[in-house]
Amino acid sequence: MVRTVACARLLTADVLRSQRVLLPVILYAGVLAVLYGGDPGPLPAPWAASALILYPVATWLALVVANSEEPPTRLVTVAAAGGTGRVVAATLAVVLAADVLLSAAATVAPLLLTRYPAPPDGFALGFCTHLAAAATGTAIGLLVARPLITRIGWSFCIAAVAVTATAVQPWLPPVGTAVHAVTNGADPPWTQAVLAVVLAAAAAVVVWAVESRR
Amino acid sequence: MRKRYGRRAVLAGIDLQLHAGVPVVVTGHNGSGKSTLLRIVAGASAPSTGTVTGRPPVVGYLPAPYPASARMPVRDHLRHLAAVHGRPAGHDAVLAALGFDGAAAGPVAQLSTGNSQKVGLAQAFGCAPELLVLDEPWISLDVVAAAALDRLVLDAASRGAAVLVADHTGRMAALPGVRAFRLVDGVLVESPPPEPERGTALIELRCRADAGAVLRGLPPVVDAWPDRDALTVRVAAGRSDAVLAAALAAGCSVLDVRRES
Repeated sequence: MVRTVACARLLTADVLRSQRVLLPVILYAGVLAVLYGGDPGPLPAPWAASALILYPVATWLALVVANSEEPPTRLVTVAAAGGTGRVVAATLAVVLAADVLLSAAATVAPLLLTRYPAPPDGFALGFCTHLAAAATGTAIGLLVARPLITRIGWSFCIAAVAVTATAVQPWLPPVGTAVHAVTNGADPPWTQAVLAVVLAAAAAVVVWAVESRR
Repeated sequence: MRKRYGRRAVLAGIDLQLHAGVPVVVTGHNGSGKSTLLRIVAGASAPSTGTVTGRPPVVGYLPAPYPASARMPVRDHLRHLAAVHGRPAGHDAVLAALGFDGAAAGPVAQLSTGNSQKVGLAQAFGCAPELLVLDEPWISLDVVAAAALDRLVLDAASRGAAVLVADHTGRMAALPGVRAFRLVDGVLVESPPPEPERGTALIELRCRADAGAVLRGLPPVVDAWPDRDALTVRVAAGRSDAVLAAALAAGCSVLDVRRES
């Protein structure tokens, strides 16, 4: 556990220094500013838009973190960590932590940027919807990164198709149903958020299974 | 244990036992699969069939060439890797022993080839591993650092670490107590221990310090003729590297080395 945390710190330091995470994060901050800087209307409906945009942003972020280490450097990290398992778990932990931060930021952004009051039912609805989108994006991002897909062009194409195909189906869990719930002001989609995190963990297991056989 | 990439079998049936304190060197021509074997032993890669058993929790692994971290400063790079190894960081002592003189605050990628290799060795040795896997560790080291590495490898072995080294410089095979294997057509063949070097070598040095003082700091020599700043020594041929390294470390310059049969 201690070594997994150390591994997560190494990956975080490396990816922050690479500055490649800046792009999706700044892009998302810009989208939030434009979205909530205008007149989006009272909550919770506007959360649907920021959650839908968080979906591809989180996919991009997961891809960047998973691809941060070059393959030769990865060998050193894996040998030092005593196996692929710790490195993949650390990658998942770093990306999910970023998902939680971005989801929290997007949930409270309308309170800071608009004149509308806080929604009477609290923030759980917004946070769960965003986390459902972000963690599903993480699952896709991990599956289109190394070692499964080594060419960044293919990663981009497959991720784009997967995200657009699954984002707009209101019946399809977890993103479609979560966004549908927030549009209709339903109960917080806890199950969708949990399902999305489970999907991200399952994607990490697939990555581990492939990488530990290399 | 076997390893194939696509249809090509790189390792075609390896059966190797590493024992604590008995270093093993593997030689073989380019592309014979030495690096693949080392990667698998270090746990950075998996065999296609067969298993690796009994790998200790902390492994020091040096790939060749050492992949330069483009962004991370040397100090942070080593600190993070020590934490990932889960052992208190001993890399500073290794860097000092190897004579690292690069910028610890700058990225690994901006170091000279030799210094970058020293950083790789520092992360591998610094965690006091029970298993050391080194791929061409003497590559691009200068004479003094190479002699220091001889000592590091022998110290690790005497501390009870299992050591596996791929080395084509012949340096590892010349160390005492080393078992040597050749990797031929994907199979390991044990080679007999090398003949000890016969004869002596005559080494002529010019020293900044007093020649007598320098002489006392050298490994045992057969004969010596100190004269103010000049020093000539006769040494056993097998020991000439160690004497040269110690002389250079003491600030002498080498004027001549001659072999006497």
